[in-house]
Amino acid sequence: MQSVTEGANLSECQCPLIVNNLSVKRSGDLILKDINLSITQGEFVGIVGPNGSGKTTFILTILGLLKPATGDVKIYDQEPCSKQLHGRIAWVSQAAANLPNNVRITVRELVRLGTMKGFSLLLRNSKNAEQVNEAIKLVGLQEYADTRISKLSGGQRQRAVIARAIASKAEFIVLDEPLVGIDRKSRNSLLKFLDELTHQTGTTILMVSHDIAAVRRSTHRMIYLDETIQFDGNTERFPDLDIIAELRDIQPVHEEIHTTVSSDCQVCAEDE
Amino acid sequence: MRLPPVGEKLLEFIAPFLENIAPYMPGEIFPYFFTLTLLQRALIAAIMVTMVSGFLGCFLLTRNLALIGDGLAHVSFGGIAVGLVLGGIGPLWYALFFSIIAAVFIHELQSREILTGDASIAIFSTGMLALGLVVLRLEITFELPLIGIIELSPVGITNTVEGYLYGNLYLLSPDDLDLIVFISIISFVLLYIMRHGLLATTIDPLAAKIQGVPVRLIGLLFSILTAAVVVSMVKIIGALLVTALLVTPAATGQLVGRSFRESVIYTQFFGLSSVLLGIYLSAELDTGGGSMIALVTACMFAVIVLGQALIKLLIKPDENLN
Repeated sequence: MQSVTEGANLSECQCPLIVNNLSVKRSGDLILKDINLSITQGEFVGIVGPNGSGKTTFILTILGLLKPATGDVKIYDQEPCSKQLHGRIAWVSQAAANLPNNVRITVRELVRLGTMKGFSLLLRNSKNAEQVNEAIKLVGLQEYADTRISKLSGGQRQRAVIARAIASKAEFIVLDEPLVGIDRKSRNSLLKFLDELTHQTGTTILMVSHDIAAVRRSTHRMIYLDETIQFDGNTERFPDLDIIAELRDIQPVHEEIHTTVSSDCQVCAEDE
Repeated sequence: MRLPPVGEKLLEFIAPFLENIAPYMPGEIFPYFFTLTLLQRALIAAIMVTMVSGFLGCFLLTRNLALIGDGLAHVSFGGIAVGLVLGGIGPLWYALFFSIIAAVFIHELQSREILTGDASIAIFSTGMLALGLVVLRLEITFELPLIGIIELSPVGITNTVEGYLYGNLYLLSPDDLDLIVFISIISFVLLYIMRHGLLATTIDPLAAKIQGVPVRLIGLLFSILTAAVVVSMVKIIGALLVTALLVTPAATGQLVGRSFRESVIYTQFFGLSSVLLGIYLSAELDTGGGSMIALVTACMFAVIVLGQALIKLLIKPDENLN
């Protein structure tokens, strides 16, 4: 992964993400407003928020798949989706981890797809084999490299999809709900792995999740999004869940979150 | 419309080899496929079409588009009927034109989420088939500006039409072979170049787009190739049976292959052995070539499924079947 680190150093002067006064409309409704944000290289940022708070809209906008109503988004000083960003940013979606069984590809075949960049890499490049092996090793799936994705567990699938992003040598990885559908043990080890990845390689990670407790335990910085940014800061300073519940003014949700947190913390303590 | 004589050139090139291996071929009639030009043409066309349709089928299966071949074959048949009545250029050219238009529309309707699933396939296949069937019975004369008087008289072409419905392997003209070989070579090369892009766009179109893979172009090109390959198959296996070569060998290959790459290789093995066995049986038993090939592909699939189940039952009875 040495080259990834080098890539990260080269771009030290550029922020992976700068968002200015962003508002986004979908079907005429204002989903996001007045978003201002900047992320520096090597940060592990978690975006949390309730369902329908605009998390996915935000991600699709920064990836250039939705157009902003006002404001602008810059990734490494470039417009989203521009040619210069191919290979520098990678997206780990839920869809890839929920691959249907009729797609009979192995971990290696999936990870190799990460090495493609634009038109030129529609052709196979044999030099990529090493890159692919490194990525598989990094996520700890060496034993399963030639196993079909459909035979892996939820956590392993998620790792395979992340390996695809790593193989692309992306300096900025965006993950959409990577914790859905995997058990607590796999979830904890996945979060630990992502944290290590930022430290070892300087990769920037932006993770969207509705699991506040899990994000709180692993990320460096948290953003609470509900139409606009309600909180943005160090994870340690993230407000108590009681305050969040008050903010949302929904008592039953507060209780639910609270229970999840206490049970999670217990398990976490046991794990440690 | 004339193509470069790629088919005839290929035939000239391969014929001496076929003649050399003819004495080792089993059966009474089957060896003639290696010596008579007419039957050599049939053999080469069948092998070319099987190779490219198997490769294409592997991607169709991963994209959940197994039935698009059937739909486009209906469209082709409609196009052939129109072509036979209107005349001018060969009916396969009409089929190619109609199928490509239909494939592009189906792709656009699906990718823009105007019509989800296979509804667009259903609409186009029945619509175009209906047009063909209507034209086949229509006796009408009309005048078009610039073109002149057009007289539709479908009398006497019913038998020709049937050839396209069930396939007529033994009546391939040199022009047919040229078209089939031309489509097969172009499609195979393009599919080979696009194979990683196709997989990436199938698995996660969004991630592929962010990587810079031209998702839309690949989707469109894939649809056009599918239409062209289906048209090239119609005269060999018949419009009704196109799916047999497009999907069944690929499905059998998936059962055995441990990776996508292995599936593609096994697909070629099952496809080619089905075609050779199908032609052998149809020649010796004097049945239709296309239908026998289709039957053999289905039997091969059944044998592999049952064989796998049996092996698991006998050798690893404690393991789940899946």
